[in-house]
Amino acid sequence: MLELRGVRHRYGKRLVLDLEQFTVPRGAVVAVVGHNGAGKSTLLRLLALLEAPTEGQVLLNGVVVPRRAAAALRRRVTLVEQRPVLFRGTVLENLVYGLQLRGIGRAAVHGIIGDVIDRLGLQPLLHRSRAELSDGEVQRVAVARALALRTDVLLLDEPASSADSAAAGALYRALAAERAARPVTVCVASHQLEDAYRWADDIRALADGRLSPVTPENLFRVDLPPGDGVKNVRIGGGGIEIAVMTERTGAAVLAVPPTDIFVSREPLASSARNVFKGRVRGMAIDRHGAGVQVRAEMGGDGGVELVASVTAEAARDLALAPGASVVFSFKATAVRVF
Amino acid sequence: MDFLAEGVRRAWGLLIAGDSEVFGIAALTLKVAIVATAISCAVGLPLGYFLATRRFWGRRAALTMVNTALAFPTVVVGLLLYGILSRRGPLGGFGWLYTWEAIVAGDVLLALPIAAALSAAAVQGVDPRVRRTAETLGAGPWRTAWTVAREARFALAAVITAAFGQVVAEIGAAMILGGNIRGSTRTLTTAVALYTSQGDFGMALALGLVLIILALVVNIALQVLQGRGGGHA
Repeated sequence: MLELRGVRHRYGKRLVLDLEQFTVPRGAVVAVVGHNGAGKSTLLRLLALLEAPTEGQVLLNGVVVPRRAAAALRRRVTLVEQRPVLFRGTVLENLVYGLQLRGIGRAAVHGIIGDVIDRLGLQPLLHRSRAELSDGEVQRVAVARALALRTDVLLLDEPASSADSAAAGALYRALAAERAARPVTVCVASHQLEDAYRWADDIRALADGRLSPVTPENLFRVDLPPGDGVKNVRIGGGGIEIAVMTERTGAAVLAVPPTDIFVSREPLASSARNVFKGRVRGMAIDRHGAGVQVRAEMGGDGGVELVASVTAEAARDLALAPGASVVFSFKATAVRVF
Repeated sequence: MDFLAEGVRRAWGLLIAGDSEVFGIAALTLKVAIVATAISCAVGLPLGYFLATRRFWGRRAALTMVNTALAFPTVVVGLLLYGILSRRGPLGGFGWLYTWEAIVAGDVLLALPIAAALSAAAVQGVDPRVRRTAETLGAGPWRTAWTVAREARFALAAVITAAFGQVVAEIGAAMILGGNIRGSTRTLTTAVALYTSQGDFGMALALGLVLIILALVVNIALQVLQGRGGGHA
């Protein structure tokens, strides 16, 4: 459906995206996860045909998109930005904006927007201006405005970042209903793994503009000191240091595969160079349904969050539950560097 | 002080009496200003939008050029255009020199950089997400430009006001290109200069007052239009 081929995108001299290939198959929901600044929003802007890559090609249904995509092509893809803007005027005027551009008649417009208004609970907001809306409401209106267009591809950049849990639930239910109603292709950028696991068919991790070769959890952008062998590298803001075995120096991304983390309630005597005490912050069935993702904050409040995969039996035997103390251990050689 | 009070009394008398010369000059000034502002904004606003939104080789140089043109002395512009419009100049065949059209041409050259540079700044002040959102919702280039312009309406109204202000108040180009011919190309500014030099301070002051009233009325009209288009934020 949508594909990036050999894309290298720069802002000035800074390389922000470097993707040999990135495909969003027809009808699929692809989640792109990664840190702030990983390149998620830039990726979505390229997929939305709003920017042309500095190098490489964007293909829509196998056809190379010209550098300045015509409006007719752009109308097949819609992007909802992370902090969306509403135009001046009422919510209602915003909802009909794209439909009027497509020359859809007044009666049909009202039928279409009536549907999204109901699904996203926008009825009370219709005659308000953007100044009278909260950030979460703006986000909901922006998603509704995009859904109303019924484009082939829907691109969502952190669609629930400003929504409370109820609004986020309504939003995801609306998207699920849309998928059930028609074959829409979705690519969603999120830094919340739970969202990605909940409803994406495929999860890709982006770090420093490149696709991560490992699962998206436990990615840390670091600056590696010179030298060989084991290096201790500070991650996050909590003063935690990870021991990593690498010859690389300078800017890099560390990845700790969740399946390589031992989970225990007390520190174990082992060869693991990385042993962290923390508290369980959350647990979720992992996306393959075979185990449990344990999310724990290491190094006290404001520490670093790590995710480990365990079997359901192990989680039960260890009596893991939110708030429980936990120890994560992994070897320096388990840390991937890219 | 008597001299000043006498001037004000005479100015007031001329205005109350509906002096035909004063109102003739005011009408010509208004006509020249409206036509020149309309032309310079019709060209300058799209040019400013283009400079603000497109990335192309030489864009920075173009912006520098437009910004530099803001400071062009009006007499120099008048002089250059005089050379072009005079009988032996490249556009001498039009016979425009010493007509109101020549003044309009000079005023357009003076107001165009204002319209282009200030509208470029106004458009650059609009959140870039507005343009991206219009495009991703399917707007073509014209509709996108219109959407951005709606967001920048107050700044763009100020651009039009500034262009009008430049045109209505300039004297150098109007004097050189129009020739200050009575009943034909005499504008408020050239007339004020003439009557002052002739010592007719009352007439000069009356014309000066008309000029100020004219500027005030046009500014109020623009503000009313802005308010009418206001509505929702």
